Amino acid sequence: MTKTRKPTRQGRSQTIALAIFMMLQSVAALFFVADAIRDLSNAPVNAESIIEALTAFVLVLGIFMAGWQLRLTLERMAAQGRALDIARGDFVRIIETQFDVWGLTAAEREVGMLALKGIDLAEIARLRGSAQGTVRAQMTRIYAKAGVSGRAQFAAWFVEELLGDGISPPEAGEKQQST
Amino acid sequence: MFAGRQTGTGAAIAPPDPWDPVVRLSHWLIAAAVIINGLISEPGGTLHIWIGWIAMAVLVIRLVWGGIGPREARFTAFLPDPRAAVSHLFSLLRGKPKEYPSHNPAGAIMVYALWACLAAVIATGLIMTDAKTPITIAKERAAVEQGDWSVLAGGDEGDESPEDSGEIVKEIHETAANLMLILALVHVAGVAAESYALRRNLVRPMIKGPPR
Repeated sequence: MTKTRKPTRQGRSQTIALAIFMMLQSVAALFFVADAIRDLSNAPVNAESIIEALTAFVLVLGIFMAGWQLRLTLERMAAQGRALDIARGDFVRIIETQFDVWGLTAAEREVGMLALKGIDLAEIARLRGSAQGTVRAQMTRIYAKAGVSGRAQFAAWFVEELLGDGISPPEAGEKQQST
Repeated sequence: MFAGRQTGTGAAIAPPDPWDPVVRLSHWLIAAAVIINGLISEPGGTLHIWIGWIAMAVLVIRLVWGGIGPREARFTAFLPDPRAAVSHLFSLLRGKPKEYPSHNPAGAIMVYALWACLAAVIATGLIMTDAKTPITIAKERAAVEQGDWSVLAGGDEGDESPEDSGEIVKEIHETAANLMLILALVHVAGVAAESYALRRNLVRPMIKGPPR
């Protein structure tokens, strides 16, 4: 959980920093623009006022570009979030289908899901408000139904699902290295 | 705690938390500007004018963002639609308002009303101060305090009836400012009612952004 959160949080603080920067830029730009308009309308146009007007124009352009960049970043973050949600949803669906196949009871499903999240026995018991012995018995029944020997194999079942037939390429790589 | 979170991790549930950093920053900056200039700072003072100018910059950015920002921040996501606004208010009274990805129709009308008031206040403020930047004004005041009255002489040349039009502009400035304060109160009440009806804190996403 914490691993998946880190990059998005970093992305968020970046967007906030960019937004603050945009605000400061726009406050500064406003004074430049006001000054440029005043100069151009009051005095006869000279080189200095033209340069000032150009500076103001470029600054405003810069704000637009920063805004555009910010929008692209935000859209990319939203797309990533959606993709992550879909992936998560798919994975949950895979797990639940497998639980159906194994014919787990509602309680066993919850315990199994918590176990897959890597939560230890004592914590599961605390979360579910049941005795550790009960949870242990439930886990044993889950392993029996799944036909696995223990928690490592239980988790590996789903990892295998994720990897697909990703087991063979590393072996092939090793062979190539060894020969 | 884990069991509770588990239900929300599916692809199905995604609570609408649409506010990006620009929307959030501009919202709170304008709120602060309205409160400070409407209730605290001395009208016509340098601080008052400074805050007015900053609010102007923030409003401009927000309006630009309404054109180029992400979908929820764009005007197209909350076009003014009085009929939808009224029907939304009725559904709110019945206690089951619909969820919207951006502002709800009633909120959208409020946003435009607040922006219009703010624009009116800023425009009249600029007219009253002769569109001088707060820096210029501070300089002039310092000069006057030192006994140099020449800066005052240059100002009102060619004004036909400075007294009358100035009075009207001032009147508009104050009326629009007061209207904005009232609308802000209605806005807060609306958010509270909506939060209660949806059983969801609508203020939190405006402070912290999306939950991820």
